Amino acid sequence: MGSERIMAVEEKKKVINRLKSMYPLRAKVNETYQKSVEAMRAGKPTVWAMLNWYYGDPILKAMDLEVVYPENYGAILAATGYAQPYLEYADADGFPTHLCGYSRATLGYTSKMMRELKGEIPSEAPLGGMPKPIFLMSSSAVCDARYKWFQALGRYMDVPVWTLEAPMPGVKELFMEGSYERMVDLGVKHLREFVAFVERITGRKLDWDKLDETVDLMIEVNRLWHEINELRKARPCPMHSRDFWSAMPAALFLMGDLEHSLQCFRDMYEEVKERVKDRIGAIAEEKYRLVFAELPPWHSLRFFDRLAERGWNFVVESFGYRPPIPLDLSGVSDPLEKITRFSLQVFIGYYEDALEQNVPAGALAYPYLKYAREWRCDGALLHPLISCRSASTHLPYVANLIMERLKVPSLTIEGDIVDLRLFDPEDAMARAEPFEETMEYYRRVRKQEGFDW
Amino acid sequence: MADKSKGLSKAKEIYRNRSVRAKELKAEGKKIIGYPCVYVPIEMLTALDLIPYRTYGDIREPVTEADRALPTSFCSIIRSCFDCALKARDDFLDGIVVAHSCDPQEKTARLWESYISYPYFHFMDIPGTVRPEAMDYFKGQLSDLKKTLEAFTGKELSSDRLKAAIQSHNIQRALVRELYELTKPEPPLISGTDILQVIKALMSLPVDEGNELLTQVISDVKDRTDGPERKPVRLILWSSTLDDVEIMQIFENGANMVMDESCGGIRAFRAKVKLTDDPLDGLAQYYLEEITCARTFRETVLGETRKDYLEDLESRFGYLKDFAQEWKVNGAIFLLVRYCDPFAFEVPSLNDYFDSIGIPSIYIEYDYAQGALAPLRTRVEAFLETIS
Repeated sequence: MGSERIMAVEEKKKVINRLKSMYPLRAKVNETYQKSVEAMRAGKPTVWAMLNWYYGDPILKAMDLEVVYPENYGAILAATGYAQPYLEYADADGFPTHLCGYSRATLGYTSKMMRELKGEIPSEAPLGGMPKPIFLMSSSAVCDARYKWFQALGRYMDVPVWTLEAPMPGVKELFMEGSYERMVDLGVKHLREFVAFVERITGRKLDWDKLDETVDLMIEVNRLWHEINELRKARPCPMHSRDFWSAMPAALFLMGDLEHSLQCFRDMYEEVKERVKDRIGAIAEEKYRLVFAELPPWHSLRFFDRLAERGWNFVVESFGYRPPIPLDLSGVSDPLEKITRFSLQVFIGYYEDALEQNVPAGALAYPYLKYAREWRCDGALLHPLISCRSASTHLPYVANLIMERLKVPSLTIEGDIVDLRLFDPEDAMARAEPFEETMEYYRRVRKQEGFDW
Repeated sequence: MADKSKGLSKAKEIYRNRSVRAKELKAEGKKIIGYPCVYVPIEMLTALDLIPYRTYGDIREPVTEADRALPTSFCSIIRSCFDCALKARDDFLDGIVVAHSCDPQEKTARLWESYISYPYFHFMDIPGTVRPEAMDYFKGQLSDLKKTLEAFTGKELSSDRLKAAIQSHNIQRALVRELYELTKPEPPLISGTDILQVIKALMSLPVDEGNELLTQVISDVKDRTDGPERKPVRLILWSSTLDDVEIMQIFENGANMVMDESCGGIRAFRAKVKLTDDPLDGLAQYYLEEITCARTFRETVLGETRKDYLEDLESRFGYLKDFAQEWKVNGAIFLLVRYCDPFAFEVPSLNDYFDSIGIPSIYIEYDYAQGALAPLRTRVEAFLETIS
């Protein structure tokens, strides 16, 4: 590589001014994954889990179980180019091709591992693969695939499935008398049964003090993570979405060591606060502030560098991955009740505002109205995914909502979670330039209509 | 005109013009409440003198309005149903109850509430499992529905009134099962097409009128001599829903459809609601456990720590074997619209199960649109030819 090219690459790397405090956090997440894989390969009990928005994770963590998330592994398979052969296994086994891409990749992977290789991890599987679990922890939150997919794995391995209940009430229905408390009651009773199930299947007893500590750490990590994201309302925005996505697994999946994560998030808070004070932005010149929804094109994150070169700063993003709005749980002593209230808060934390603003889609859609308004966004980049309906269905509604209420325009660029060809960065860039004119136009409209950005 | 007094002709007429009776009742001062899914406990509506009216899509109506709110990679039945709502197809409705029966229903509920101003709207959450704590939560959801219905109507829903409504609907369930008894003979006394029309008519009428219609239909069918021809294949259909006779006729051109396990067939009538001291207990148990929709997570034993695939299949699909044996089925159709995730995940396992009981099956995916019928016909013909 010639020196000019090296310089050019280094220059590109600097387009987004990444947070220094993010790196040790991310390194620990990566290291944890590697260690976890080694432990699993050495025979340590492993659980396959769906993203469950905190309901089950602190319990598994307190019980020292290794956890692997097939959704994340699906993304890894896609990004490393290993998904396609597994998709073909799933197709050959009769799973419809329109199903969630991650699920098809996992089903195909498991088909190969259990039927063809009699339980051996496929040698080509990236990052050490996923060994056969002792149980599957699914969740009823957000989409049907989240539990039907794990149930379908029963075809390949006789492994029990626990489906975590995650209530999803309507906005006005939540505020009916007794509604919230009934949800808490469901959560606490359900998690108590879940603990008993895990104890039965692992032969281990849960250390309740350890669970309490884990839960408190989880809550504090996420409170700090929330505060960091609040600081991003500053102009220029000090932290780009890429740092959000890099740091997110430590808060959302509790990956890594929670004590270490807490320190990293404290450092991150200080770094971001310092940047706000010194008016240091995440990109050199912030011309446009954008909100991104929902899952990013993991395989093409450099796309954001190219947009950063044009002055696009991504200041807020991905409702489904964000920490819940903080809730005072200091008066709650039962760790299962703390978990339940905390988990419920992810989705219903926006409901009171949504009701006030008369937006019935209190989770998924309403948050984007709040983000666009409070983070003073000029535009939204929406990324519907052809085989992930839960991350896509609400996006046309979001586009209408933020245009009608705030005069904030949206650019919709389709993609997929495993079929990477659907997201074409060149085409996306070609559409980005004219969208700048649209953002400029609506900036004038907002001024005329009395908005303050 | 005399023929129209006959049950089947009447059902056919209602099927063709479903809203006529609802509009008449509306003109008489009744309130009509829509529901897009059979998980809505319509007994509560009946008990409060509200008219339950199932909202459907229309395979003949191109989806145009729903495009502004829903992506194309989405359950095409719900897209069509929502499209019809946006086009004010059922503008006589006084309200709607939407249940969290599947992800598309839950997501579309928010849109329904946002884009269409009904005097009454209620969203009912449904847990994913049948565990006891989930049952308690679901009962709470039914209780909330009861409260909003009481507020809307200004009437108290007493336990006695609710029990009476449950009994009326249980009579309807028993009559539908009796109707299906008439498909047991070879050849069946009634076609799947006729049953589909009857059930769609039932879902457009007050329960007592529906029961009268059913009684008439059953009587007519038993007496008539011009029933369906005997075909070489007796089919069972497994589907999320099948609501159009044009689709059903594709199957019945070469086979007798003797059992329709979908929301357009026996699914909402297969079991009955238990009459419990607190009627909400019976309703909760029925709607959460007895409706055999793929959306619910079921285990052989609650909280099992040991799993056996064949036992799992038996516990999830055993009722289909009972249908197959009692109705002497020799072919199974798994018919799904594209993007129906809860049902689509079941397909390979269900295929395994039908293999295990020696019944050939085929999975057919289609789009809920008239243009999709030609390829559907081709696949069905090929399957029937193979197994006959």
